[in-house]
Amino acid sequence: MNLLKVFTRVFAFVGKEIVTTVRRPGAIFSLILGPFLIMAIFGYGYNGFRKPLDTLVVVPQSAGLPRDPGFYAGIGGAPVQIVAVVDDADAAKQRLALREVDLVVIAPPDAGAQFQAGQQEVITVAYNEVDPVAQSYVAVLADQFAATVNRELITAAVKSGEQYAIGAGKAVKVIPPEVLAAPTRVETENLAPTTPNVVDFFAPAVLALILQHMAVTLTALSLVRERLGGAMELFRITPTSAGEILAGKYLAFGILNLVVATAVIGLMVTALHVPLLSNVLFVLFIVVLLSFASLGLGLFISALADSERSAVQIALLALLASVFLSGFAIPLRDFDPAVRNLAYALPVTHGLRLLQDAFLRGTWTPVNLLALGLIGFVLLLATNVVLARSMRPV
Amino acid sequence: MAESPAELAPASPDGPHTSAATSAAPIDGAGPERPPAAVLEGVSRKFDDVIGVRDLDLTLPSGKILGLIGPSGSGKTTTIRMLTGALRPSTGRVTVLGEDPTRFTRRTRERIGYLPQFSVLYPELTAWETVDFVAALTGTLLFRRMIRVRRVLHVLELWDVRGRRVSVLSGGTQRRVALACALVGDPELLFLDEPTTGIDPILRESIWAELARRRDAGRTILVTTQYVSEAEQCDLVVLMADGNVIAYDTPEGMRRQASQGEEVSSRDSRPPFDEIFADLVRQNGFHGDGDPKKKAR
Repeated sequence: MNLLKVFTRVFAFVGKEIVTTVRRPGAIFSLILGPFLIMAIFGYGYNGFRKPLDTLVVVPQSAGLPRDPGFYAGIGGAPVQIVAVVDDADAAKQRLALREVDLVVIAPPDAGAQFQAGQQEVITVAYNEVDPVAQSYVAVLADQFAATVNRELITAAVKSGEQYAIGAGKAVKVIPPEVLAAPTRVETENLAPTTPNVVDFFAPAVLALILQHMAVTLTALSLVRERLGGAMELFRITPTSAGEILAGKYLAFGILNLVVATAVIGLMVTALHVPLLSNVLFVLFIVVLLSFASLGLGLFISALADSERSAVQIALLALLASVFLSGFAIPLRDFDPAVRNLAYALPVTHGLRLLQDAFLRGTWTPVNLLALGLIGFVLLLATNVVLARSMRPV
Repeated sequence: MAESPAELAPASPDGPHTSAATSAAPIDGAGPERPPAAVLEGVSRKFDDVIGVRDLDLTLPSGKILGLIGPSGSGKTTTIRMLTGALRPSTGRVTVLGEDPTRFTRRTRERIGYLPQFSVLYPELTAWETVDFVAALTGTLLFRRMIRVRRVLHVLELWDVRGRRVSVLSGGTQRRVALACALVGDPELLFLDEPTTGIDPILRESIWAELARRRDAGRTILVTTQYVSEAEQCDLVVLMADGNVIAYDTPEGMRRQASQGEEVSSRDSRPPFDEIFADLVRQNGFHGDGDPKKKAR
């Protein structure tokens, strides 16, 4: 009988939370269509490749180098798009300063003279970037550009030397100049079971981020609203315990999260054709664990916050931390170990890894599953303590 | 100063209670020998430097309607919140249904209904869903809950708006929905903090009639109100001002106090209760506007 009463109270909260959530204007849209639309827009707008950099090549009249843009396009390759070949370096830099172009490559004014004198020729690559990632990218491009030019020069020199030796009637073993200029080459082999495109790769991560964010925002306001609205005083008079309130809220928002996740996963697989290598039930199990931990985070925030505004602010901080630290934007291994450990405290860090592995590799890491369960359990206990304390007489 | 409740020894409410069709079932063991539903002994409550309630002695007999009457800030809500266990008294002892309210057992909580001063309602829920939710919090199972919700919505004339969301209901109707939440569990002891605020006079009459029916079925009701005229509806009245009890008696006894012992024979010539209240406040040296600094010297 007592157990029945406990169930009755818990399911009173389940019903109340589900009804009040789905009856809010726009809730269905923002809960189900919203996450999918975000993914679809992301996939439509970003193909994972950088746009080629608009490049001006400056070839001084004295250099004696070709002026055909096609020649330099062949050297620069796909990452650059040669806009024009000009001879005035200052004018080119002026356009770079105005950000009309992305790169200016300046050839040496007397190509070959320095080399003949036993010194390196200098090719200047100018750019106008404040983004450190873009700066690194340009540096890599410049190295690649120099390597290509050097290889071309060596190839030409070898060809010329071999022709000279053959012409002089010497017995030489002819090795193709291209092989002498680049004796080795690299072939890559990807052992991953799928070769996902950028949408495939990011979709499970976006799903993890959305699930955590949805759980946190739905619940972050939940307890603080009850407290500020006076409901907590009413609950205190009824036989309801903190554990029953929490159980009702966990179940209600967990069900909502699971419904949304199921719908979004269905759309991911059918509309975006994201490969799903794991069993769908296992993916839903990950969703349940991620929701459990994320709801714990939201309810813990809600139990601590003293106003709706502070609850929203903390929820937003959790979102920011998740975007930057979880491995969503920047791979986790690139962080300092201390920061990486902090990132492991976020449910989404484990959820993201688990969902990406489940979708794209068909594997899973037990430690991530355990971590999610542990985070959820600790947050549940902590929230229960804080809530029970707040229900005590003052 | 006010006479102490012990000295007042509240008399039985006037007139026999008629048993009308009620939404409350008769209570087990109801009878004159029942112990008091609540007792406050030397209870004071401070909020930092402000005294909310001062040295309060009060007994709430079982099976009665006790009205706490007084202006805003007089200590009514503080008293009720100490009785429900939401507030801990700074000094003194509170006993409700034989227990310390700050340590109520679940079973005791099931026997108590509470209407807070400010309605706790969820705008997205309908009137039915709201009352059903609160009924479920007491652990009432589904079928019994359906019967009780249906009954209380009829009693408070909310049946026609049962399917409408609380957010679209008028203030008075919302207050009735909140009252329905307090009544739906058919509790043995009811704490109602200003249940008739914002409700029109005709509906107020019907609410008081329902409270009387519940009292007749053995329930105990403590009700606060700012409508002094509603004191007539109570079996016992406590007048409060500035955190002090300034009178505790039956409504008739209070009339006698106000007229300083003169008998008022004709019903028509009886002074209205707001005048009685004002007289008693003055006699006891209070201004009665809620400011404790204004106690007359």
